[in-house]
Amino acid sequence: MTRSSLLVLAFALAFAVAILASARRHRTEERHTLAWLLVCAAIAALAIWRPAIDLLARAMGIYYAPSALFFLSLAAVLWIVFRLSLDVARQKEQLRTLAQEVAILTVEREPAATFEHERESA
Amino acid sequence: MGETRPLAVLLAYEEEAAIGRTVEELRRELPEAALLVVDDGSSDRTAAAARAAGARVARHPFNLGVAAAEATGLRYALRHGHPAVVRMDGDGQHDPKSARELLGAVERGAELAVGSRFLEREGFQSSAARRAGNALLARIVSSLCGQSVTDPTSGLRAFGGRAIPFFAERFPHDYPEPESLVWAHRAGLCVEEIPVQMRPRLAGRSSLTPWKSGYYMVKVTLALGLELARGRSRA
Repeated sequence: MTRSSLLVLAFALAFAVAILASARRHRTEERHTLAWLLVCAAIAALAIWRPAIDLLARAMGIYYAPSALFFLSLAAVLWIVFRLSLDVARQKEQLRTLAQEVAILTVEREPAATFEHERESA
Repeated sequence: MGETRPLAVLLAYEEEAAIGRTVEELRRELPEAALLVVDDGSSDRTAAAARAAGARVARHPFNLGVAAAEATGLRYALRHGHPAVVRMDGDGQHDPKSARELLGAVERGAELAVGSRFLEREGFQSSAARRAGNALLARIVSSLCGQSVTDPTSGLRAFGGRAIPFFAERFPHDYPEPESLVWAHRAGLCVEEIPVQMRPRLAGRSSLTPWKSGYYMVKVTLALGLELARGRSRA
């Protein structure tokens, strides 16, 4: 096994450990954990089985093999970022509804004193 | 529940200098309406000033934008059973007499009554550039609605009937006025424009700078274009 293979393998392993550690502390959702572990597995597989990149590039009709790798990883990252932006938009919507509810519920309770107090302590 | 009065909703963001006078004027000139000030997360003393002037205040814990503030007012009306809602700005630009005319239109059956500065060219008319932008938007919105709309960015508007639950639940992002007109038409609500006059603001300054106005035009046009695409895919 070449040094570069070992390096990439070590990276995949460290990444997997980080994912599992976060999952253990309930910081990720199960579906995300699984997806990220699959990414680690793919990276490790490419590190061990080097010809896979060339086979992949040929199948995609790409002459320069690393380009195929760049393309695939960039596409994956773009997809993840897009999904995250959708999540953020949804959460913003929920947060907004929550804030509106809070505003309506506090109308009757004359919260003036609370708010003034909060401002002083802020 | 059991509330029969219309609700006047004053939207206020950083308006501590003007909100007190606006509330007092509204209580004096529009005594038949219940009054709610929606403070959109101001950092100044807007909420306190409004309460001191005798208004009920719903305060967003942080700034949500004018569209959400309008929807908060409608949610409140829905919960308390107000049959009609008139939305006005907290800076005193909107005349209580116009509010009464809009509420009258709602009483006669309109579900969304919009106060237009341009049906009869009177009163405060804002700058030439803004009027030109408005004219462009008016053409786009009119063609999308298949009904003449002269003042698509007017924030002085009254809601009744199905429009209250409709706009309490969904609102466009950012500046909502032109898009919400298109939504109302798509939903088959009865929309009516009423001529009104507006006044210069009492205090503070407009949040729209020339740059922001340009950006606003681009964004609204994009949003309206998306609306067109939605209509086609649905049909």
